[in-house]
Amino acid sequence: MTVDNGAVGDLAKEMAQARWRRRADFFRRLLSHRSFVIGLCLFGLIVFLAIFADLLAPFDPNKNDYRNILAPPSAAHWLGTDGFGRDILSRIVHGTRVSLRIGIVVVITTGVLGTFIGTFAGYVRWTDTFVMRIMDGLMAFPGVLLAIALAAALGPSEINAIIALTVTFTPRTARVVRASVLVVQRQPYVEAAIAAGAGHARIIFRYILANALSPLIVQLTFVFAVSILAEAILSFLGVGPPPPLPSLGNIIAEGRAYVQEASWISFFPGVAIACAVLGLNLMGDGLRDVIDPRLRNVREAG
Amino acid sequence: MAQVKGGDIIVAQGSNPPSLDAMVTSSQASRNINMNIYETLYGFSEDVKPIPILAETVEISDDGLTYRFPLRQGVKFHNGKEMTAVDVKASLDRYREVGATGNLLDPVASIDITGDYEVTLTMNEAAPTFLEAFSSPRAPAVIIPAEEAGAEAGKTKFTGTGPYKFVEFVPDSHVKLERFEDYSADTRHSGADGFGGKKTAYFDTVTYRIMPEGGARIAALEAGEVHVLEQIPVPAAKRLADDPNIETHQNMPWAFLTFIMNMNVPPTDNIKFREAVQVALNMEEISAIATEGLYNLDHGWQYPGSTYDAGDIGKEYYNQADIPRAKALLQEAGYGGEEFSILTDSNIPEHNKSAVVIAENLKEAGINVVINQVDWPTALQVRLQTEGWNGWTLMMGIEPYLGPIGLIATLTRDKPHFVVNDPELDALQARMVKGQTVEERQAIFKEIQARLYSFFGVVKVGDTGLMQATRANVKGFKPFRFPRMYDVWFEG
Repeated sequence: MTVDNGAVGDLAKEMAQARWRRRADFFRRLLSHRSFVIGLCLFGLIVFLAIFADLLAPFDPNKNDYRNILAPPSAAHWLGTDGFGRDILSRIVHGTRVSLRIGIVVVITTGVLGTFIGTFAGYVRWTDTFVMRIMDGLMAFPGVLLAIALAAALGPSEINAIIALTVTFTPRTARVVRASVLVVQRQPYVEAAIAAGAGHARIIFRYILANALSPLIVQLTFVFAVSILAEAILSFLGVGPPPPLPSLGNIIAEGRAYVQEASWISFFPGVAIACAVLGLNLMGDGLRDVIDPRLRNVREAG
Repeated sequence: MAQVKGGDIIVAQGSNPPSLDAMVTSSQASRNINMNIYETLYGFSEDVKPIPILAETVEISDDGLTYRFPLRQGVKFHNGKEMTAVDVKASLDRYREVGATGNLLDPVASIDITGDYEVTLTMNEAAPTFLEAFSSPRAPAVIIPAEEAGAEAGKTKFTGTGPYKFVEFVPDSHVKLERFEDYSADTRHSGADGFGGKKTAYFDTVTYRIMPEGGARIAALEAGEVHVLEQIPVPAAKRLADDPNIETHQNMPWAFLTFIMNMNVPPTDNIKFREAVQVALNMEEISAIATEGLYNLDHGWQYPGSTYDAGDIGKEYYNQADIPRAKALLQEAGYGGEEFSILTDSNIPEHNKSAVVIAENLKEAGINVVINQVDWPTALQVRLQTEGWNGWTLMMGIEPYLGPIGLIATLTRDKPHFVVNDPELDALQARMVKGQTVEERQAIFKEIQARLYSFFGVVKVGDTGLMQATRANVKGFKPFRFPRMYDVWFEG
């Protein structure tokens, strides 16, 4: 008995160690993945700006200064000023906040809704056709166009932009989740769990979702990037957060009238959007490469 | 300078003309085109005095009750027919029905044909300011052929007597006019004078290209694809000032920048609150940002130096930027942080920029401001509602140009801008239109300006200018209330 007990204890310890090793191995591989690291740096910079906006911004982003309208970049205003004499650097720093806030909220809402709808459709098979046809219907509209139409109908505000983007990106997330649920469901370990008499909740959370998570994470980095971009598009078209709140999109929109006279207004927030979106996409690529064993094998073989 | 005939001049403008039936619209986009096609009996000269255009003159009876308009003879419509008293009566009858400002004929009891080339208007009572109102280009009382006068609004064939005639209108693309070869110029003048005078069309055709994107219009001008921009942002004008191929023109003053309050809803129904807004605002900051630097600080409700300029009345309330005083007034008003919603539009930069600066000024005074930015047509609908907005930013272009009566008309009688009528202002307006002499009317206008600065329904922010630009080979162009395409030609 004591020997047996010791063997079981060793096994548990070994399993814990193996799990820990797998995790360490995962992060090691992630951090040695070059594009992931570049992406992390780019996106990290934007997150850093957003978190410390109040400390980093040299001016109040809404402080008008009519004596300094359209001033080019200088020692006082590193990235110049806009048509109101407001400091572009301060507006960009605060603008990243709005863009990231919208991005994060959209990731959470689409993540939760998409996972729920996708799992439901994949697990409760008789609802599949009905639910997924609704999703297909929503996906029939080009994504950004649907978001613009919704935001225009709901009126310009941050909440409405979030609603519009959530409605637009939820079907895409649901589809990814459903596909993985369908694959995972057929795995022997799920069948074993069913045979062992596990309840639906345990099967879904412990066996199916846990294993369907990887593609969802990759998908959500994509949703994050596209949300930031879509928010910029909505703001550019005047259906995003209303003035004077700075968001990366409406700073660019305000600079549109002065592209030839004061190109710095639109250029620098454009760079910020590019950093955020490129960073997220590179991170998404890295995650996919590291998570997906088939791709990893291909890469290692090559 | 030798004037040469020929060529197709291309004018770029931002929006479609709502109508080419000149009577029915007061839109600038229409007026820019229509005033080259149509003419009126009377119109404003360069220095804004009524002068005869299609009329020979006017004979006003001593009691001020009859206006006899002998007509110029031999004036041809674009359809080749000669203009007679029948056409004039038919046009004025139609104007009363469908004219956008048809109420300017309200004092007229009857319109009678008193000769082949003579029309007589009989008044209900003496209306000393009638001729100014009748000359207004806002929605001009143009003369069209009698056979088109039965048409519904917007359904005429766009036939006029002007130096250019209508060819085609393709919405969202262009409007095309061509020179009217049988145009009967008014030989009493030596050249164009305001909306009248001796007009000579030199271009074979005039094309108005509809280009909504401002940047595209400027790029097209720089590339030589268009010849005239009726409006150009100040920074672009500054940049193009050094370009030898382009000439910029300054129209100053062009408009009033105003901030109108809704006196029907809290907190703007409270006079102390409105006074707080008036003293809190920094007019210099608002004007400089909204106009990109082309402005005059001016508290007056008529342009400085014009006939009805009321002097320093109200100046003590203007450009105060006095936050402590505003806070004290807010306290007196019992202001408890109610929402103050500023209505503005995304189409006219002066409107939305001034809204942003006004909002910042008022936030500083402790007012809970939100900006409701919608598109221009929506803004025009919302502001007609009696609720749902507190402040509205508006540039008044043509009204101050028309003089005190045109201006006060928007603030009195039916649907004044600030929603609720001010009885005292209405009474002053009624006296104003009946004032017998200029001196009498000047005195009444002083009372009007004093009244405007005592109930604060509308804030005068400043006078704004307008920049226009032409290609350097366009000669003879003089900035005016609309881009005149006559007495302008291409350099040889």
